Amino acid sequence: MPVVQDLAFWVLSVVAIAAALGVVLVKDLFRSALLLAVVFISVAGFFVLLSAEFLAVVQVLIYVGAISVLFIFGIMLTRNVREGNVPNRLQIPAVMCASLLLVGMIAAAINTDWRPIPEAAAQMVDAAQTQSVAGPPAGASSSGYAEQDTGLAELLIADFVLPFEAVSLLLLAALIGGLALARSRGS
Amino acid sequence: MSCQLASDSILYANGIYRLVYEIVGVVLPCWVAYAIAGLVFAFILVNAVLLGAAVITWGERRVLGRFQNRVGPNRWGPFGLFQPVADLVKLLTKEDLRPEGSDRVVFSLVPVLMVAPLILMTAVVPFAKNTALASLNVGVLFILAVSSITSVAIFMAGWSSNNRYAMFGAARAVAVLISYEIPVVLSLLGVVMVAASMSLGTIVAAQALPFFLVQPLAFFVFMAGMSAELNRSPFDVAEAESEIIAGYHTEYSGVRFALIQAAEFGGVGVVAAIAATLFLGGWSGPWSEYLGWLWFLIKTGIIVFLFIWFRATYPRLRIDQIMAFSWKFLLPLAMVNLVVVTLEVFLLRGDEGVLTHTDLAIMAAINLAVTAISIAVFGNLIKDRVTFRTRQPQQVVVPGVSTIEVS
Amino acid sequence: MYGLAMVKGLMVTLKNLTRKPFTIQYPEERAKQHPRFRGEEFVWYEERCTGCASCAKYCPLGIIKIETSPSGSMIPQGEKYRLEVFDIELQRCMFCGLCVEACPYDALFMGSGFEQGQYSRKNMVITIDQLRNAEKHPSTWFRPQLEGYEGGTDSFRRTPTIAQGESRFSYDPRGGPPLGWREVGRESWRWHQREKAGMRLEQGEAVPDTGRDELPQSARDSDAAAD
Repeated sequence: MPVVQDLAFWVLSVVAIAAALGVVLVKDLFRSALLLAVVFISVAGFFVLLSAEFLAVVQVLIYVGAISVLFIFGIMLTRNVREGNVPNRLQIPAVMCASLLLVGMIAAAINTDWRPIPEAAAQMVDAAQTQSVAGPPAGASSSGYAEQDTGLAELLIADFVLPFEAVSLLLLAALIGGLALARSRGS
Repeated sequence: MSCQLASDSILYANGIYRLVYEIVGVVLPCWVAYAIAGLVFAFILVNAVLLGAAVITWGERRVLGRFQNRVGPNRWGPFGLFQPVADLVKLLTKEDLRPEGSDRVVFSLVPVLMVAPLILMTAVVPFAKNTALASLNVGVLFILAVSSITSVAIFMAGWSSNNRYAMFGAARAVAVLISYEIPVVLSLLGVVMVAASMSLGTIVAAQALPFFLVQPLAFFVFMAGMSAELNRSPFDVAEAESEIIAGYHTEYSGVRFALIQAAEFGGVGVVAAIAATLFLGGWSGPWSEYLGWLWFLIKTGIIVFLFIWFRATYPRLRIDQIMAFSWKFLLPLAMVNLVVVTLEVFLLRGDEGVLTHTDLAIMAAINLAVTAISIAVFGNLIKDRVTFRTRQPQQVVVPGVSTIEVS
Repeated sequence: MYGLAMVKGLMVTLKNLTRKPFTIQYPEERAKQHPRFRGEEFVWYEERCTGCASCAKYCPLGIIKIETSPSGSMIPQGEKYRLEVFDIELQRCMFCGLCVEACPYDALFMGSGFEQGQYSRKNMVITIDQLRNAEKHPSTWFRPQLEGYEGGTDSFRRTPTIAQGESRFSYDPRGGPPLGWREVGRESWRWHQREKAGMRLEQGEAVPDTGRDELPQSARDSDAAAD
């Protein structure tokens, strides 16, 4: 339904840009963190528009559920929260750099040849994005599921196992670091 | 019939949605019909959650009373059925207070943000055959993602109250929430593995044997974890009456407090619906073509009764005990469950990759034994570690007097 | 608490679910009270009262107000006063029962009610008409003669149930019939029949004959002279 998709796209774009501007310009730090969460949710909406449901849901789960909480904890634990965004001398150079970056990215996005994915790989890409579990379900008839034999899980474990293990090592290091930081002295 | 839904749309299977869409599509443009049909179904869901919250408050007070050898409220209406109405009227007629120095927008937005994720969660739950608003392929993950928005909402509540005790309560509640998300996610992974899909409709179809029999450990971890996420007894240290004032909803009164309570009890209902779908078989049962909704309601009622039973039985845990319960008890149990279920699925899954009824029964038998053993073992392991370690007695030397032990 | 004991706890609670609740549904049922309960009401027998105002004198708070005038009745027994005002201020009463202890004629008893709440302070004073018209369910506090009461108009059958070791709750202050002035006095109680105080007799009525020759000759002479 193109009308609904267009409408959704425009609404999400306006919300995302307004919230992003709010993150930078709003004085109250807590509110800017909340607006950042709004940006994350809008990005999840964009993922849904692009038929990447799995990514959208993971975006909400990780960014809004965990990283926003991390930001808020960080804001809570710093002093002088009420002062918020203190104006400083780097504002004009920052605006210029950001505008240059924006112009560059828009030029790159317009000039890239976004070819539609060939049909053979489209099913695999679709499965990778939407079907995260491989294999047919238990007890159900196997029609329609027997053809797909790749999912995101299989890709992660079979083809991309090295980055997967590297990420798990990183997670382990972060856990141990957190434990070491939070230990009480002398116990 | 000028507007037809595409047959691969996720909304196609939903009979009610299609009906409304086609009826409205005769007179109005298609995209307006799309929106209106969605709004109608969403209206039904919102009402179901909020009215369910009212019914659950009534049910909880009566059933909790019977557990405690007393009768619950029975003055307003037959069997006290109008008690939620009386509570609501009382809350609605209260003064609308807002603490001075609080963030006006954030303060008013919090009750909405607490109720909204719960109603969103019901969008993927199949109430009867082919009746979920959106039968997503990643339904389980959607539920987990939306429930994690609640932690941001709780923080907003604590911060915008401009009250350091509310902030303490909010920090504690968020800590409990994020600690218990991990065992819950791991327990749901076992379910997803056996059903081989994250879509809730497929999981219901895969339950030839209900999953609470096939994976009792996952069921236990899910129930315990969700009790904590809903801030229910025995994990309600954040909002119990004898705790730090009232935790993150100290400064809320009137309609806002009513909405927060609706969020809490509606959460019980929604989580019970999800548990009934994932572990008890959803709408399946005899004559489930016509009576699927009835079986669904009965199973949801059983799970709500389980939540109330837990509340009536267990004493409230301290915050450090709650953390220990999550990290040292539930997390190892969830991992044990995950490993055992993975092994079983790997070994039992046949060539065409389907788990038959007998396979599920074998899994049930093995998992039951594993559950009993692991709960007993891990329970014993953390039994002594949950109390405060008192300081070791110090030797106090007073010259001229024999040594005194001070502890 | 974390092992299989969790299941044991659940079973205990489940068993409780099947038991009958203990609740007493208040406006329809009331809890059974002890007979010696010092309630918020007062039971006053005008036939026994002489207007001596001992209760007013004993009251530590001074809330009893008594105004009397000569009545010219009961002259042989010493002329009892006519009471015009007998007010007890319930709002400041602490229900200590000293007024009941003080009454030598067993005319004032503590009541057994507890529902005397009123909507304004003016109504919190018990007047003489209320005392006259109230239903008389006296509490047995400081009146042990009532504790062996088995009912009926034959009030001379008294057995002190405490001595017999029976339950002392056999007298139900609220449940039983209202007691008349003849049934509540010490003269009906065997232990007290040696005492002379509290014996309140109708004009012309003789001292009841219990078979024990206890009255001194002087009392019997004055009674005979009154006839």
